[in-house]
Amino acid sequence: MSTPALEARAVTKVYEPRRGPAVQALSGVSLEVQAGQRVSLLGRNGAGKTTFLKIASTLLRPTSGEVRIFGHDVVRRPEDVRPLIAVVPQESHPFFHLTPREQVYTYLLTRGFSRETAKARTQEALEQMGLSEVADRLSVTLSGGQRQRTMVATIIATEAPLLFLDEPTIGMDPFARRGVWESLRRLTRKGSTILLTTHYLDEAEVLSDRVYIIERGRVLAFGTAEELKRLTGGTLRVTLAGAGAPEESFRSFGPVLVEDGSVHIITEPDRVNEILAMALQKKIPATVGPVTLEEAFLRLVGRSIHDEIG
Amino acid sequence: MTRSVDAGRVPLGLDRFRGFSAFLETETRVQLHEGPSLVSAFVIQVIFLVFVALLDRSYLVYTLVGAIVFSIFTVGERVLNEAAYIRLDHKLNELYHASPLTPESYFLGMSGGVLLAYLPPVVLLLVLLQVLFPLSVTGAAMLTATCLAAWLFSSALGYSFSTLFRDMRAIWPYSSLLFNLFGVLPPVFYPLFRFPTPLQPVALALPPSAASALSLWAMGYEPLRTGAIALAAVSLTGETIAVLLFALWWARRSAREG
Repeated sequence: MSTPALEARAVTKVYEPRRGPAVQALSGVSLEVQAGQRVSLLGRNGAGKTTFLKIASTLLRPTSGEVRIFGHDVVRRPEDVRPLIAVVPQESHPFFHLTPREQVYTYLLTRGFSRETAKARTQEALEQMGLSEVADRLSVTLSGGQRQRTMVATIIATEAPLLFLDEPTIGMDPFARRGVWESLRRLTRKGSTILLTTHYLDEAEVLSDRVYIIERGRVLAFGTAEELKRLTGGTLRVTLAGAGAPEESFRSFGPVLVEDGSVHIITEPDRVNEILAMALQKKIPATVGPVTLEEAFLRLVGRSIHDEIG
Repeated sequence: MTRSVDAGRVPLGLDRFRGFSAFLETETRVQLHEGPSLVSAFVIQVIFLVFVALLDRSYLVYTLVGAIVFSIFTVGERVLNEAAYIRLDHKLNELYHASPLTPESYFLGMSGGVLLAYLPPVVLLLVLLQVLFPLSVTGAAMLTATCLAAWLFSSALGYSFSTLFRDMRAIWPYSSLLFNLFGVLPPVFYPLFRFPTPLQPVALALPPSAASALSLWAMGYEPLRTGAIALAAVSLTGETIAVLLFALWWARRSAREG
């Protein structure tokens, strides 16, 4: 079997501020990303996603554990790791006093590309990100979404073997987000590997070969989006609209959630007809839809929070 | 693997400065797009020159040399602000640190880029100096060498200092205080003999005033004794090397958080 693009074993990180108590950001995270995969890290704010990304991209020392990028230890051999990776940091901006073209082009030069290659790749990346029209305007005059696209263009132009993207589509409109997704798919087809964090669950669902849910510094669950959705107890969601739906009557079909006055039953396809028949009998409007990754995430993380409190 | 593990294998020789010219180009482009900053950086020098030209022209050579040294010295203040701005406001340092660009090249490229962008007005001051007070070869060589030292010292100081802050607003008063205090108060714009005699060794131990004194001495305008020359030369060289070596080490150390 080939060397994984990223291999993390029992990574912990404790922040020790000068004042106040120590903060355990990671508590033994282990994960593996195979070359050519697109993998997402999901988690609430402060779950430890960015901390993990920073450690894996040589920007932060772990307290213990080991991370290897294509077999190179990120702590002992950062000089070997850095040519293999490229990072879009969270909430980063391009140089305000460079144009997107200059930002991408000069970044490629700093990575050692020839001027000819840098020029060609810059043009290609700007086109992919839909920035051609504003390519020669100073970034300070661009919108937030255009600046974010400039950051993504900067690293996709590298075609580095492993790309880390920390919330890459934040602030982008739906069209721009889809442009980024397509670019990332294109990169993995060319052989790059992608590890991203996102709060857009639809993004993780359509883009990822594998999803890791991080909660309180631990891997809570992982698998394909479909596998995670199955962990909720079913693959379909039947929603009984309006108050008055007796939730107790439906508990035998699977997990029941009550939200905004509606009852949601997570179940399998072969039980749907029974539920609909009961709803019809009780004259309750019902709709059927697939379980989304967002529901799986809310249920898995919610259960974890509940267990923690309990 | 523990917290005590070293930051990693340090590349040797020229490999340690991989990407320097490219980041120099990046930073020069950034600075050149900020025209008003370039102009405002020379306001104090021009005001001093006008004052001296109006009040007593016999001091003009001191003020001209001081304006050149001060302009180079304040490159450090701009490096401080730029490094902090990139790190705190843009978070771009992470983009570059997680890449083949070495931390040393990041620091030196930034320092060089700021210097290059601010050099044209310095050249104008040099031309003015040459026209009004023609430079000897020794004088020109000494001015160049001391300016080089002032740039390296102040850039290294500015870059290292920038890493201590977590808020841009906290930086502005300190950076202005640091560079104006050491660049204006001691005899940089005026002759050493006008400075209180007991404090003259202190002035000669400070890089900007040492640079001015040595340049003026080499040009024949500052009569320094051998001891004073030695003190200024050793201080300027020693402090520059020490601060530069620290900044190179610190650039690598701080490229990865603890």
